[in-house]
Amino acid sequence: MIKLTDINKTYPGAVPLHVLKGINLHIEKGELVSIMGASGSGKSTLLNILGILDTYDTGEYYLDGQLVRNLSENKAAELRNHKIGFVFQSFNLINYKNALENVALPLFYQGFSRRKRNVMAMEQLDRMGLKEWHHHLPSELSGGQKQRVAIARALITNPAILLADEPTGALDSKTSVEVMGIFRQLNTEGVTSVIVTHDPSVAAQCKRTIRIVDGLIV
Amino acid sequence: MSNLFDIDNWREIGATLARNKTRTFLTAFGIFWGTAMLALLWGTGSGMQRMMMSNFEGFATNSCIFFPNRTTMPYKGYRKGTGWGLNTDDVINLRRRVPDLEIISPIINTEATFKHKDKTFSGTIQGLEPNYLQANNPVITSGRFITDYDVANMSRVCVIGENIATSLFPNIDPLGQTVEVNNVSYRVVGTVKQKSDMSFGGRMEDSMVIPISTFRTAYNMGNHINFVFLVARDGVSPTNLKDQIFTTVRLNHPIIHPDDDDAFQFFDISEIFGQISSVFTAFDFLVLFVGLSSLIAGVIGVGNIMWIVVKERTQEFGVRRAIGAKPRTLLVQILSESAVLTVIAGIAGICFAVGVLGILGPSISAQVPAGEGLNFFQISFNEAVWILILFLVLGGAAGIIPALKAMKIKPIEALNDR
Repeated sequence: MIKLTDINKTYPGAVPLHVLKGINLHIEKGELVSIMGASGSGKSTLLNILGILDTYDTGEYYLDGQLVRNLSENKAAELRNHKIGFVFQSFNLINYKNALENVALPLFYQGFSRRKRNVMAMEQLDRMGLKEWHHHLPSELSGGQKQRVAIARALITNPAILLADEPTGALDSKTSVEVMGIFRQLNTEGVTSVIVTHDPSVAAQCKRTIRIVDGLIV
Repeated sequence: MSNLFDIDNWREIGATLARNKTRTFLTAFGIFWGTAMLALLWGTGSGMQRMMMSNFEGFATNSCIFFPNRTTMPYKGYRKGTGWGLNTDDVINLRRRVPDLEIISPIINTEATFKHKDKTFSGTIQGLEPNYLQANNPVITSGRFITDYDVANMSRVCVIGENIATSLFPNIDPLGQTVEVNNVSYRVVGTVKQKSDMSFGGRMEDSMVIPISTFRTAYNMGNHINFVFLVARDGVSPTNLKDQIFTTVRLNHPIIHPDDDDAFQFFDISEIFGQISSVFTAFDFLVLFVGLSSLIAGVIGVGNIMWIVVKERTQEFGVRRAIGAKPRTLLVQILSESAVLTVIAGIAGICFAVGVLGILGPSISAQVPAGEGLNFFQISFNEAVWILILFLVLGGAAGIIPALKAMKIKPIEALNDR
């Protein structure tokens, strides 16, 4: 599903920062992988590259069999839209849209009709057990509920991979367990997920843990 | 762009604008005020112009009025200050020697008292030729004007002004009735009024017009003329004919010194018309300047608010980009927001201006007789649409800088912007 070969990334500046120093990574379809590392280890950069939010300098990145390299903004947006589902630490829901509209938003950018979008969004909310909350604004939802809305939004386009950046970072321990339960449940349904975290208990619930130290996988 | 017709797009625009009501209101007010000011200034400017020009209505704009002054230089034994008068020979000479004059209409007039039975009215009696109609066209409200036949036969017919008609014949149709002046009776063949505020030789409403030949006989005037109305041919300015006219008149009046141009009174309507036109050209520039300034102020307001909106929503745009929004989609979204704000506030502003002009315009227009029952000050529908389009284009342009900024936002930067 994901194949990284000798990925290098340097942030230019007065003192150029060599963040990723030759990453080789293979993630198969249906895996639940966590990426762990101290802050500054390059794990966020790696996630950004995986999510086509950032570019890399050298190496090769194949996503679902497709080489991700030198993409135009439009092409990158399209790939993100179709292949990747994002889950963020701070949920990143749009605060003036209700749960249903938030979940439906990726389909809006695919040009689905409003009715079809809403039907599909409702299905995803139902999957997350939030059907009755579909008309609530994010401000009217608890942290766990917001993250579940965000997961529903990530899943709606049926992406090749789910990328989660500290998905439990803003949640209490009980809700963290609940959210991780969802990732595990999704994994049994065949969803491929990559979770970036620094929480060992989160990593423990994943099938594989990749550790990054100073820009290299150890 | 199918997205443009998606109801979600419009709901989003509505939601964004409604989110900060005070700021949206203030920006909308800026646009409202800008359009209203531009429309009001436009209406006032063109209204004043129309009002001024209405004074010339009925006057050929390339015409002039010519009459004698006392001489100002001694010549051939005549002292300066000698009086002289125009006569029919001058008219004949002008017709012969100044072919660029299309119309030469001689006029004799004097004060008189008009009588019908026990009723009287004091006004001006004017002896005219029928070609007067082409130089200074009065409005014939009933009957007819004097004709060449009347002049040739020295008919005792008259055309009376509206004021005379209502005073002497309050309850009956004046046509066919007689008016007595100095014990001579004239049959009424028509009634007239004038369009403009400007008049020479007395207002038409207060005048009685009789054939010039009849006037001469009745008042024993010989071939004397008080003044002439001159109209130049199309494309010729009477100002340029001035020297030719003076030279021609001097032929018949050898007591005028060749350099004594002050012995002639030459009232050049075309020149006054031109002066007023240039005043209004300057005025138009002023209107345009002030109007555009308020317009720009409004537009900068829109640009400003869109800038703040983009800043405020950086994270949101980042999320949208992450989940698949193309830069162009966001551009359209932001531009539609500023366009919607501009259109709504702009239409409100124009409606306001049209309302104000509609209420105040008629009473100001009524200050001149030609403006009775009219509104010179209203802007036309086309002008309103143009103002709106101008605002829309400029509003869009103001929105484009923030929108381009929003497009340049890298999703990661935006997501880190917490």
